Amino acid sequence: MEQVIANGLYLGAQYALIALGLTLIFSLMNVLNFAHGQMYVLGGFVTYTVVAQFELPFVVGLAASAVVLAVTGALVERFLFRPVIKNSHREESSMLLAAGIAFFLDAVILLVFGEKQRGVPKIIDGLFNWDFLIVMPYDRIVIGFLAIALIAIFILFMQHSKTGRAMRALAQDKIAARLMGVDVDRYSMIGFALGAMLAGVVGGLLVTITGINLGMGGPTSIKAFMMIMIGGAGVISGAIIGGFILGMMESVGLTVLAASGDITYLVIFATLMVFLAIRPQGLMGKPWG
Amino acid sequence: MSILLEVKGVSKRFGGLTAVNNVSFHVSEGEILSVIGPNGAGKSTLFKLIASFLPTSQGEVFLRGERISNLAPHTVARKGLVRTFQEATIFRSMTVRQNIIVAHHLRSRASLLGFFLGTRLAASDETAFAESSDNIIEFLGLAAIRDELASTLPQGHLRALGMAIGLATHPTVLLLDEPFAGMNHDETMHMVTLVRRLRDERGVTVLLVEHDMPAVMKISDRIVVLNFGEKIAEGTPTQIQSNPKVIEAYLGAEDAAIGL
Amino acid sequence: MRKNTLIFSTGVFLLALYGAVPLAIATSERFDLYYTLTAVALLSIASAGVWLTFYIGRINIGQGAYSLVGGYVSALLVTQAGMSFWWTLPIAGVFCAVLSVVIGLPILRLRGVYFAMVTLVLTEVARLCALALPITNGAKGITSIPLPEALQIFGVTVIPDFAQLANPKLAFYFMAVTMMVVAYAVLWRIVHSRLGHLCRSLQQNEELASSIGVNTAWLRVLAYSISSFFGGIAGAGFIAISQSIYPSSFQSTDSVNFMLNCFLGGLGYVMGPMLGTLLLYFGWDLLFATGRFQLLIYSTLMILLMLWLPNGVLSLMDRKGDRK
Repeated sequence: MEQVIANGLYLGAQYALIALGLTLIFSLMNVLNFAHGQMYVLGGFVTYTVVAQFELPFVVGLAASAVVLAVTGALVERFLFRPVIKNSHREESSMLLAAGIAFFLDAVILLVFGEKQRGVPKIIDGLFNWDFLIVMPYDRIVIGFLAIALIAIFILFMQHSKTGRAMRALAQDKIAARLMGVDVDRYSMIGFALGAMLAGVVGGLLVTITGINLGMGGPTSIKAFMMIMIGGAGVISGAIIGGFILGMMESVGLTVLAASGDITYLVIFATLMVFLAIRPQGLMGKPWG
Repeated sequence: MSILLEVKGVSKRFGGLTAVNNVSFHVSEGEILSVIGPNGAGKSTLFKLIASFLPTSQGEVFLRGERISNLAPHTVARKGLVRTFQEATIFRSMTVRQNIIVAHHLRSRASLLGFFLGTRLAASDETAFAESSDNIIEFLGLAAIRDELASTLPQGHLRALGMAIGLATHPTVLLLDEPFAGMNHDETMHMVTLVRRLRDERGVTVLLVEHDMPAVMKISDRIVVLNFGEKIAEGTPTQIQSNPKVIEAYLGAEDAAIGL
Repeated sequence: MRKNTLIFSTGVFLLALYGAVPLAIATSERFDLYYTLTAVALLSIASAGVWLTFYIGRINIGQGAYSLVGGYVSALLVTQAGMSFWWTLPIAGVFCAVLSVVIGLPILRLRGVYFAMVTLVLTEVARLCALALPITNGAKGITSIPLPEALQIFGVTVIPDFAQLANPKLAFYFMAVTMMVVAYAVLWRIVHSRLGHLCRSLQQNEELASSIGVNTAWLRVLAYSISSFFGGIAGAGFIAISQSIYPSSFQSTDSVNFMLNCFLGGLGYVMGPMLGTLLLYFGWDLLFATGRFQLLIYSTLMILLMLWLPNGVLSLMDRKGDRK
C-alpha cells in the first residue's frame, strides 16, 4: 500500500511537470500543444546523446535538453503559431498546425536519433528499503525530488518574477494585459518556450529510468491531455493535481488491476467522460463559460 | 390597458453578491417602459432574468399570466418575449438581409425536413420571410446596407440590425438593451422615433434598459428606477425627474465617481 | 456560385468520377489506385460528418468511434443475421445516429477544447468496448465477412453480386464514390437550406440564436446525429472492402485525421473535407516512395500549407461575400 503511494507520488511528480508545460501553453495561447509528447521525447533523446555519446555528466544533459526545447518552443511559437493564429478565421485552425508540428518532430526524431529504444545508466546506484514496505531505487527518489523541486521553482517563478506575473496576467485576460502594456507576442513566445522546456526536462529526467523511444510521443500527449482534463486546463493547481491523480491511477493500476486490464480502462474512461460532462472545467479549472 | 408583463419579487444572487433584490413592477400592453439606474444598479441582470437568460434566485416573471422565468431562452422567445443585446450581436458572416431572414425562424410553419426537401409549404415560408424582411428593412431604414456583410457595419447600423433581428420574430414584448448607447443627438432622435413607431405601427410593447436620460424622458410612458439592485422609484417621467430618491441615487453615484 | 456554373461543375465532376478516373486507371494499369480512391471516398464521408459538427461550432475528434460502431453493426448483421450488406448500410448509420443522441445530449453543452477532449476519449472508449463486449468477439474481431450480395428491388437486380464480379475493386470504387456523392449532396443541401442557416447561426452566436427562438440544444444534437450517421456508414463501407473488422480498425489517430482533413480543405467550404481527405491520404501514399523521409516531407508540407493558407486550401477561392 505504501509502495503504491510512493510509486504514485514519484510518477505524479513527473506527470505534473509535463502537465504544467501543457497548461501554460494552453492558458497563454488557447492552443492545445499536440506536439507536447514529441517535445518530451526530444528532451529524452538530447539528454541521452549528451550523456551516453558525449559522455558528459547528467546535469549537463538535462541542461542541454532544457535549452534545446526552449529554443525549439520559441521558434515554433514565433514562426509557426503566431502567423497562423493571426491569419486564420477560426481559432481551431491552430490545431492542424500543432498536429503538423507533432508529425514533424516525430520525423526529425526518427531521422536524427533513430528508432531504437535508448537508455541512460542510473545516476545513482542502490536501493532504498524501508522494512520492505517501500522499496525504491535511489535514482527514482532523486528524480522524484528533482521533479518536485522543479515544480516548486516553477510556481515561485510564476508567482514572483516579473515574467511570471506578466504571463499570469496574460493568461487571465489578454485584452486587459495588453492595455496594461504587457507585450503579448513576447510573453507568448517565452511561455511556449517555457512549456516546451518543461516537457523536455521531464524527458531528460525519465530517460534514466524508463528509457526513451520514438513511439512514446503520441501516448504521452494523450496522457498530458487527460491530466489537464481531470485537473482543469489553464490553471497551475489543476495541472499539478491532474498529474498526481494520473500518477496515482497508474500506480494503482500497475499493481492492482493488471488482471482485468481492458474493462478497467473502459470504466476509467467512461467515468472520465461522465465527470467531464458534469464538470467540464475539471477539478480546479475556471468555469468555461 | 391590460397587464402584459409582470415581474414579481425577482431576486438574483451570485454567491455572496445580491445583484437584484426583490424587484416588482408590471408593463401594460402597448406601453414603453424604461428601467434606469446608476452603473451597477442591476439593470442588465434584471434584463437577463426577465428574458430568462439567467435563472432567478427568487421570484417569477409572467407574460400574459403565464410564467416565463426559468424557462429555456428559446421557449420564452417563442412565447413572444424577445430581447436584443447590448453588444448589438449579429450573425457576422451573413448579410444584413440574410440576418433578418434567418431571424424569422419562429415564424416558420414548415418543418426543418420540409425545408430540406423543398416542399411547397417551405417555399411559401421562404417567400413570406423575404417579404417580411424587406418590410422590416424599409421600416428601420436599412435599405442602403441590405446586402452588406454584418461584420462590416458601423455601430449605429449594428444596433439597428439587432433591432431588426428582434422584430423578425414578431414579438409581443421587445426588450431593448441600451438602444441609445453611444449615439449623438440626431441618431438619438431617430431612434426615439423608431421605438415609438414600433409601438404605434407594429403594436410591440417595449421594455428598455438605458442610461441616456434625455432619451428616456422623451420616450417612456413610465420609468422604473433601480439602485443597488432594488427598485427605488416608479412613475411617469415627470414624477421620476422630481423624485428626491432618484436624484440622490444619481448624485451619490456621481460623487463616488468624482471621488468625493 | 451561380446556378449554371454549379450544374456545369457538378456534371464535369461526376463525369470525372465515373468515367475519366476508371478509364485512366484501366489504361495505366495502376489498379492499386482503386483501393486508394475508394478509401479516400469513404474517409471523406466520415470527414464530412466532422465538418458538419464544425458547422455548429464544435471540434469533433471522436468520429472514429462511430465508424467503428457502424462497421461492427454492419459486420454483425451480415454474419449473424444473414442480412444483405446493402440493408446494413443505412441501419448502421441510424444506429450510430441514435447512439450519438444519447452521447451528445450531455456533452454537446461543452464548448471549444473541452468538447474536443471529451470526444478524443470517445474513440478509445469505443475501441475498449469492442474489446470487452462478448458480442464483438474481442481482439479476434469479426473476419471472413462475405462480399456484398446482389441487391434486388422488385425483382430487378440493381446491384450485382460482388462475389461473382470479375473486377470487385471497380465495383467497390463505384459504391464508395456513389456514397460519397450522395453524402455530399445531402451536406450541400443542408448547408444551403434553413437548417444550414440555423446551424451557422449556432456557430456564430449561440445566445442570439436562442433569443430568436432556436432550440440550440436540440439543433446541436440533430447536427451531431447526422454527423455520426456519416461516420457510421463510412465504417460500414470499409468492412465490406476489408471483409473484416477489429477493435483497432478505427483509432484515435483516425479521428484526428478526419479532423485534419476538414482543416486542410477549409472549414468554410462544403467540399473542404473531400479535398482535404484527398490531399492528405493521397499525399501520404504518394510520398511512400521517399522512404525514410516520408513523414518529414509530409509534415513539412502540412506546416507550409498551414502557413500559406491558414484557412484551408479552398480559401484560395475566397472572394468577399463568397464564404459559406
